[in-house]
Amino acid sequence: MEPSNDVALDIIVTNVVSVFRTRCHLNLRTIGLEGNNVIYKPEVGKVLMKLRKPRITASIWSSGKIICTGATSEDEAKLGARRLARCLQKIGFKVRFSDFKVVNVLAVCSLPFQIRLIEFTKNNRPIASYEPELHPAATYRIKTLRSTVQVFSTGSITVTGPNVQSVASAVEQIYPLLFECQKTLV
Amino acid sequence: DCATSWGSVLYALPKVQCPNHPDAILVEDYRAGDMICPECGLVVGDRVIDVGSEWRTFTNEKATKDPSRVGDAQNPLLNGGDLTTMISKGTGAASFDEFGNSKYQNRRTMSSSDRAMLNAFKEISTMADRINLPRNIIDRTNNLFKQVYEQKSLKGRSNDAIASACLYIACRQEGVPRTFKEICAVSRISKKEIGRCFKLILKALETSVDLITTGDFMSRFCSNLGLPKHVQMAATFIARKAVELDLVPGRSPISVAAAAIYMASQASAEKKTQKEIGDIAGVADVTIRQSYRLIYPRAADLFPTDFKFDTPVDKLPQL
Repeated sequence: MEPSNDVALDIIVTNVVSVFRTRCHLNLRTIGLEGNNVIYKPEVGKVLMKLRKPRITASIWSSGKIICTGATSEDEAKLGARRLARCLQKIGFKVRFSDFKVVNVLAVCSLPFQIRLIEFTKNNRPIASYEPELHPAATYRIKTLRSTVQVFSTGSITVTGPNVQSVASAVEQIYPLLFECQKTLV
Repeated sequence: DCATSWGSVLYALPKVQCPNHPDAILVEDYRAGDMICPECGLVVGDRVIDVGSEWRTFTNEKATKDPSRVGDAQNPLLNGGDLTTMISKGTGAASFDEFGNSKYQNRRTMSSSDRAMLNAFKEISTMADRINLPRNIIDRTNNLFKQVYEQKSLKGRSNDAIASACLYIACRQEGVPRTFKEICAVSRISKKEIGRCFKLILKALETSVDLITTGDFMSRFCSNLGLPKHVQMAATFIARKAVELDLVPGRSPISVAAAAIYMASQASAEKKTQKEIGDIAGVADVTIRQSYRLIYPRAADLFPTDFKFDTPVDKLPQL
């Protein structure tokens, strides 16, 4: 039975992680004292700065590397990163916004049917792995897209990948496999 | 023509055979040192070297004096086949007791490269001994560890963690899986770390393992609880049926097994509390309760047809 592709699946991107560099050494103590909405963690060696507008949390390291998490889209991630760099510039550092790269995108999707995980794992032997003792979801790694799909028995899946495009392709790829192993109501 | 397994020179061994029956396979009589033809009884080869032991050992003799001149059986498959000599501690007075207590120098390090591996084998043996695992699982674990160690892809990880994970995989592969918690109980490594190493080893060795089922654990859990055979069979049936009917989606098979044991024991004469079952299975009290709540509505369908109820289905505890 061909799975009908006209069901519109809502793939909601929940988290985008990106990194960028400021190309200058940052004094974490100054940022910790003068910045607003910052948490200084001297034992680890980083400052956490949270932005309100694009809701973003950034880990700032003294080398100038910054990891930005919490954005809901790739554009928002870039915007937030730029805003963050501007904040640092206002504090007084000679910030140059460079090497912006989206590293990880996390999306969730809720399928309209429940899934039989044991059957799904058996059909996709080496690619899918299911360890109920460790985690209640079956993980399916797609090497070509460098993405991982975690399938829960309730039918919700989470997909992580390097960009939004690969996440979308991963869902497309895995949908027919999941459709076969759905739990039809008796 | 038989080829020798040793040298590189292949030559046909002089084959002894009975002159009357060249095809007959000769029987070796080790006591007299003869090769005898089974067809006619002719003694073909004589003065065959006896490969038995040189002397007989009795159990009441002093065990300290071991006259064996050969030593322990080596384990060439796992050790890399070294034939080094170790100097043991001297026993006589003339063992170089220069003033003070220093005897002759310590036995030399035999194989520094494999020292960690030998240590791990010892650790594996200790762990397996604690849960009474048979020799074949220990051998399989050793082999897995050797493969992982030689690959060096998991070199940074603690050897004990890798050993514990290998033990877990070996039990799985032999068809008698142990839960992670059971392996944790005999190892100093946390469940999280063993789980991580487990996944890494599967990736490194490019193998996969079968999924665990509820039936794998039934005999062990029920025996530990002291439940009779018919209760165990009932519990196995209940758990299998529950999984078939998919009444417990997303629940770990251990939790389902524990809930099934609870239901079966409560319906029989030997009633076990959730706490006792949780203790044996390594499952939390509330988890058994959750899984039990899921299977309770269909309790009547889950029991095997020939089960003798001590407590009828409608009187089963409802939690």
